[in-house]
Amino acid sequence: MTGTRPSSDDRTGESEMIAVYRHDVYKLTGQPHADALDTYAGVPVNQPVPLGADRDAAALSRPDGSPTQTVVNHMTLSRLSLLTGVPVEQAPPHDESVLAPLVTEDDPEVMHQRWLETDVAATVNESVYYPYTSLKYHTLLTAALLDNYRDGHDFADLHLVVDQDGRRVPHRTVYADVDFALHLDGGTHDKPSIRLGDRPRRSWAATWSRLPAHPLATDSEAYDRVLDANLRRITAWSTALQYLEDFMTGVER
Amino acid sequence: MTLLQQVHWELEMDYIGHPYYVSGNAILHALGQQLPQDVHETLHASHGFFVPGQFGTFPETHSQDGIRPYLGSGLPDVETYDDLFLLRQSSHSWLLDSRPRDALNTHDIRVQSGHPALTHETIMGRPQAADKKQQTTKWYVHAYLHADGSDCIPIEDRHLDGLQFGGKRNYGYGAVSLKDTQVVDIESLDFSRLEAADEYVLSLTTPFVLETEYPCAADQDIPWWWAVDRCDLRERQEKLLEQREVFSLQTVDHGQTVRYDGDCPIKTAKNGLCRIGSHAKYGFGEIRVTPREAHDTLS
Repeated sequence: MTGTRPSSDDRTGESEMIAVYRHDVYKLTGQPHADALDTYAGVPVNQPVPLGADRDAAALSRPDGSPTQTVVNHMTLSRLSLLTGVPVEQAPPHDESVLAPLVTEDDPEVMHQRWLETDVAATVNESVYYPYTSLKYHTLLTAALLDNYRDGHDFADLHLVVDQDGRRVPHRTVYADVDFALHLDGGTHDKPSIRLGDRPRRSWAATWSRLPAHPLATDSEAYDRVLDANLRRITAWSTALQYLEDFMTGVER
Repeated sequence: MTLLQQVHWELEMDYIGHPYYVSGNAILHALGQQLPQDVHETLHASHGFFVPGQFGTFPETHSQDGIRPYLGSGLPDVETYDDLFLLRQSSHSWLLDSRPRDALNTHDIRVQSGHPALTHETIMGRPQAADKKQQTTKWYVHAYLHADGSDCIPIEDRHLDGLQFGGKRNYGYGAVSLKDTQVVDIESLDFSRLEAADEYVLSLTTPFVLETEYPCAADQDIPWWWAVDRCDLRERQEKLLEQREVFSLQTVDHGQTVRYDGDCPIKTAKNGLCRIGSHAKYGFGEIRVTPREAHDTLS
């Protein structure tokens, strides 16, 4: 899935990694794609992501082909929660004071941290046609793919890695809470991991189910078993990662 | 001749119990109230998988094709080995993309006195925003039975209707009604997709029991024909409840896949349907054999 190996110029790399977190700002501001602005708050936004990383991240969560409306009475960028069944409270468009930290930062590693922790990007879906998907996790997945592709890894090399120490790896971590983190990584590692497959597709459930270890307390906690049971049913990656976050923070036990 | 009787129940009330499946032990226990003891003793039950009654399209590996309304609410014809697994994979890849498939396929949770209960139906579309656009998806439980003596199968419909699974049964939770049932002879199934392959992958449809506290049941090693070490397999504990006594089981968790190192894949596939290892009678150790090149896209 990668093109030629990218330039080793650090500044090119930095600007590409910054650009990936700014590539869908028009969704946060509630603009149509055709009218997407080139700059926002004085920085370049809505630029294409190199090496096909955006296209591949989209394929992890949305079907190919022409999109169709999947929820009859919901046709907005406001994300529908899989946990509650209703739109999340704060819907787009967001004003500049809320968005600025997610857009104007120019240190790529700080930017990655902010996207891991953002609630704002989690209020928006990837596409109005698929309102349970999450722009927050689509963007983190796009960044992880681009960073791996830039290192010369093909999609077929990539693994979902479970990090029970909760360590965050710049651009590679696609989910993190206080207890654990999940990374996409093409390199070697000594943590439990499983290959994503030969090509990008909606394979969350299959990947999660086949992991040699996962971080939930399914032996002892009924709520962890319910969470795990639902994680084995969801195919879209951004929907699943957002559900994991919503369940961990939103379910009283 | 080995007869499998597929049974499809409709959930009539929320279910408080195992969120992965209704255990085969729970199914056999419920049937024990309905059947003469000599028939009941010969029965083996699979775990019951939760299935949403929704529009769907048959996967390429299935002998049928096309789109069906409410595919998950009944039992399609079974001609091939792969047909048996259509409804026995939690991700239900047959669900249509033109609908919110992940929302329809996840369980809504209702907390009932501290227990997370799975709802018996999923309601989409808020009434205030969508007058008459509310859409309800019912949930079903798919399981199958077989018997030591072939003359016990099929179990009559009247014995399969009106059962209850899970906790708080005195309050009506876990009530099901019989929706559909059909008998399949394993020997008459088409295994040509497996016969055409050279390498195979085993996927654990239900957990495989390694160690058990249950008296007189043997601990198991992983079979020699699994090309994997035990330390590479995710384990999970299960509980077996009998006569109000709880026995712990250490299992290889379901959902994982391992390479097949044996030389009789068809026989292994047939044995995997009747399940292997300790507590196979109660649903543990169900295994699906798949050609290796197809295992990326199991459906």
